[in-house]
Amino acid sequence: MSTPGISILEGKYMVTMDLFPQQSKEFNQVTPFYEFLREGRFTTTKCKDCGAEPFPPRVMCPECYSSALEWIDWPTVGTVIDVTEESVGVPLGFGKPPLIHALVDLQGKRTFFVRIINCAAGELKSGDQVKLAVFDVDPVPQEVGREVVQIPRVFYAFEPVK
Amino acid sequence: MDRNVCVVAGGMSKWGVRDGSQRDFFQEAAKACYDDNPLMNPKDIDGLLVASAYTERTSYQTHLAPLVAEYAGIKPKNICARVELLCASGSSAVILAFGLIKSGQADVVMVAGGEKLYTPQKWEVFYSELASVDHDWDGGQGLGLPPPAFAMVAKQHMKQFGTKKEHLGVISVKNRRNAAKNPKAQFQTPVTMEEVMSGRMIVPPLTLYDCCPITDGAAALVLATEEKAREMTDKPLVYLLGTGQASVNNMSANMPDWTTWEALKIASAQAYMKSRVNVDEINVAMTHDCFTISEIIEMEDLGFCKKGEGGFFVGDGQNDFGGRIPTNTDGGLLGCGHPFGGTGIRQGIEVMKQLRGDAIQQVPNATFGLTHNLSGFIAAHTVLVYGKEVR
Repeated sequence: MSTPGISILEGKYMVTMDLFPQQSKEFNQVTPFYEFLREGRFTTTKCKDCGAEPFPPRVMCPECYSSALEWIDWPTVGTVIDVTEESVGVPLGFGKPPLIHALVDLQGKRTFFVRIINCAAGELKSGDQVKLAVFDVDPVPQEVGREVVQIPRVFYAFEPVK
Repeated sequence: MDRNVCVVAGGMSKWGVRDGSQRDFFQEAAKACYDDNPLMNPKDIDGLLVASAYTERTSYQTHLAPLVAEYAGIKPKNICARVELLCASGSSAVILAFGLIKSGQADVVMVAGGEKLYTPQKWEVFYSELASVDHDWDGGQGLGLPPPAFAMVAKQHMKQFGTKKEHLGVISVKNRRNAAKNPKAQFQTPVTMEEVMSGRMIVPPLTLYDCCPITDGAAALVLATEEKAREMTDKPLVYLLGTGQASVNNMSANMPDWTTWEALKIASAQAYMKSRVNVDEINVAMTHDCFTISEIIEMEDLGFCKKGEGGFFVGDGQNDFGGRIPTNTDGGLLGCGHPFGGTGIRQGIEVMKQLRGDAIQQVPNATFGLTHNLSGFIAAHTVLVYGKEVR
């Protein structure tokens, strides 16, 4: 007999406790972004009508409100403007401190504040080059009919160009 | 119909790492608010707006406003709803109450805000912070808890304008000193510049005393038409005169500038224009010192000093008592703590007291005051101007 309370949640998946976005088509319309990530591509949507390149990718252009969007590739290498190293308060799921972030100029497209992985504390400095780094994250156990299907997922950070 | 709006009562629970639940703190805040003005009959309150950002995550409670109404002993008949804008939830609720009263939709509105942020296991609140930014894009980068973002702001401000670590320290020392005189504040002890400068590293250049804490607590404010206010209080009338709230981006990649906060400049311009009060006339300010660097940039972008001079301005004591603009006279976020939905209301209470003339640490002859909140990834800014007279 199950006991009311948290013991009944053991083994259950909770979307409200998931660090990463839903990536299956049932729960997200920008699924191609994650499919391209698997190929090492960093993409967004470009508006076919006005040429705007909003990020994050959209289903509607925020400039001219058109729905005619196409996927385009953006650069995968950028230049570090500055670096921070978080030694206290790193959220669960992001490894042992320090958690490194850098402000990265992605060749004029945007200035991204991103996680840096595969990098030692003190290693990265202003002016360095960093590149896209794609990694697997926990799959989502999604109910499909009466089955539970593991939906694989990826996410991205950046890493030093060595 | 366009009516003048006054603040007639305000009070807060003790803030800090508290024993108790969210609903306990809302009752304590309501009680303190009622005690602030014994002439007011809480049964006259015809609207309630509740500000709380994490109620679903840390108290597992939606539909919060009717719950607070039940516990506060009021039966609103014109509005009873919750408002959420993370760290600016409280001041957003005040803006909405202002609009409702001004337009005749309600006459007497209570605005109550607060959170129970400490959970039985502390990791959960840090984890929940990943919902505060753009979860799918910035959250996945581990950018939930804000110190890395504000450390980057501080680094850029130092690089561009020569701001020094000691300038940040001046803010910590000032706000902790003010908090030590405020019995409702989370921190009751002042800190010295030496302690601040040798504080534990969080994210360079930010150390422990550069960062506001995580806080439980609540606060409540009652606003009313000027006509009602004259019947409800024998204290000097304090008017809410004008407001602005601006958002120009959400995700970090869309921030126009890391050291000039565009949305703050827009929100403050709107608030000054609508209140017909010039920045030069503001005598006291409660600004969003979630981190020391924030208060420095706020001095600049609210217009109290020139761009880039904020560090030197605070270093000269210009935003302390006796200076150009005494700021965070009750201790601010750094001293009082920061239960997200409560903060904007706590700021409104302190400005109300300063303009009534009964603040714990009074700014002499304060006539106009403002409050400012920022929220999210420095994504939205909220400015409210209060005064002892209507323009």
